[in-house]
Amino acid sequence: MSILMNDSTRVIVQGITGRIGSAQTHWMLEYGTKVVGGVTPGKGGSAVEGLPVFDSVEEAVRETGANASVFFVPAAFVLDAFLETIDAGIKLIVIVPEYIPVKDVIRMRDYAIEKGVFALGPTTPGILVPGKGKMGIMPASLFAPGRVGIISRSGTLSYEFAGILSEGHVGQSTVVGMGADPVVLRNLADILELFQEDEGTDGVIVVGEVGGEQEEKAAGFISRRMTKPVAAYIAGRHSPQGKRMGHAGAIVRGSSGTVDGKHEALRAAGAEVLESPIHVAQWAKKHDLK
Amino acid sequence: MRLHEYEALDIFEQNGIPVPRRGVAGSMHEALHVAGEIGYPVMLKAQVLVGGRGLAGGIKTASTPDELKEMAEALLNSDIKGLPVHKILVCEKVEVAKELYLGITVDGYSGKPVIVASTEGGMLIEETARTSPEKIAAIHIDPSFGYYPYLSRSLLKMLGLKQQLITAWTDVISQLYAVALRYESLITEINPLVVLPNGGLIAVDAVLEVDDSALSRIRFPLPDRVDRIENPLERRGREIGVTYVDLDGDIGLISSGAGLGMASMDIIGEKMKPSNFLETGGGITADLLYRCMELLMMKPGLRAIFINVYGGINPIHEGAKGVVRYIQEHNVKIPIVAKALGNRQEETWEIFRSGGVHVVTEVATERAIDKLYELVGGN
Repeated sequence: MSILMNDSTRVIVQGITGRIGSAQTHWMLEYGTKVVGGVTPGKGGSAVEGLPVFDSVEEAVRETGANASVFFVPAAFVLDAFLETIDAGIKLIVIVPEYIPVKDVIRMRDYAIEKGVFALGPTTPGILVPGKGKMGIMPASLFAPGRVGIISRSGTLSYEFAGILSEGHVGQSTVVGMGADPVVLRNLADILELFQEDEGTDGVIVVGEVGGEQEEKAAGFISRRMTKPVAAYIAGRHSPQGKRMGHAGAIVRGSSGTVDGKHEALRAAGAEVLESPIHVAQWAKKHDLK
Repeated sequence: MRLHEYEALDIFEQNGIPVPRRGVAGSMHEALHVAGEIGYPVMLKAQVLVGGRGLAGGIKTASTPDELKEMAEALLNSDIKGLPVHKILVCEKVEVAKELYLGITVDGYSGKPVIVASTEGGMLIEETARTSPEKIAAIHIDPSFGYYPYLSRSLLKMLGLKQQLITAWTDVISQLYAVALRYESLITEINPLVVLPNGGLIAVDAVLEVDDSALSRIRFPLPDRVDRIENPLERRGREIGVTYVDLDGDIGLISSGAGLGMASMDIIGEKMKPSNFLETGGGITADLLYRCMELLMMKPGLRAIFINVYGGINPIHEGAKGVVRYIQEHNVKIPIVAKALGNRQEETWEIFRSGGVHVVTEVATERAIDKLYELVGGN
């Protein structure tokens, strides 16, 4: 089993005719994802990787029965396309692009929650269900099917954790990128809840980083609701204070959002804090996760 | 992008927020001239893009031209928290009845703008937030409902203020909120917002940090973004389109993700010292990695380089070509270790190896850094 994506997930790719959109559609299809079409306004009637391209999401949904969408749309057009996608009735949306203005993300998040749509990102590698399919850019070779869930604020670190587990013959149920921006479309606790309820998941790894308060807030959920073992890693112990490390989500400001503060909150909630990604192998072994 | 105080004050003034009379000076003589126009006493404030400037000695009061000469000279030749002072703001010293705090930011967790107000403004606002949270009031703005002045009135009521101050302060909040919207700022702040003896309000300091992702669509003139980066290597990083943070160690680092870069830094930091943090984002090309190598090698005394990249959205085999081209053209002798996994990894390893790069094929970054440590001969 898995969370968010399953056998009935039918995916469209928005921005499918772009360089990245078409290349990633190829990789998604190769991994077995049910990609059923794409959308690029003005390019309707053409085809990419043998899939039909539509001018609007509404047409794509009508013609293909799509119920999920992954975005490779230029940042400036994401807000518009996102609202269109929700209005067309899509219930799962993955926003891969980075550099989307925070003001737009605030609007997107508000509308998605109002309409009961589950959306991930921006700046997310997406979702991958090992051996089944993926929506996004995760490099499939690093993942293996199994029973550990991974939620990460960083794309590359989600690959690192999955890869270390796979090397040690521990598979993953679903790997979810929540996005690295200061505001994301869904909070960490929402995704933890899905893993807690998933019969195919026996333990969950939370991969976070300095800045923001996602991990601190999720600690409350972990202590109240999680019965499965939770491990957590927070990147950025050696990041200089006040400097931005890449994306805007990773800023250390004052004492909030520090590695120590997050460790303390997570430990108090009963999560096991990992000092380095490599320690995840021992954690999986200790809890007999496969 | 964070604006300088003098730039933010201009924007606040254009939007109807009362600010002191002032001028910006790049030399002692300019400062003297500005102060002459305003009249003494004046405040001298170092224009550096860092918080906690007052406590670090960046704000002075001059009562006479002689005092000003001495202080302006000293400030213009100083560093505040490591940043050189190129300009000082010379401004009217207002009479203070009380100092307030007013800030608008984005609450990442709720995904909403939040307005924060306190009756205890000034340099110790962070301290107040910790020790007397009841002196701080905050209100979230519902994105679909928007901002209306009554929200400010009810916010300020929580602080138990008199109606006259509530009315004046509400005007300032409404104007500041308009600035935050128009400039798509992540932080819009006045600290202190000074209550004058006559009950009026005036913004004595101004912070404005514009969302970098929105810069291209802001229709108001903004200062150049690359110009204001003091560190030449960090400026070069911005020019080539990567995030580069200069550090004081000697192990160069290139990563294809911020999280991975920070984790690499943390692991390097256990036994060695990173020279920099460099993150490429999702736009690797051969040319870009060539320039990244060039940037790293500008730092004297570099002992080794660690490249940690994943091929998800990035064509890492292209990146490897750029690295190898740099090594060959510049006859690089220091050890370079690469961990490159994901799409087209085998091809990438071959390219790296052809340039003499040590390739580590295990997933754990720790293993690659162990190899690097061994190659630089420990410590």
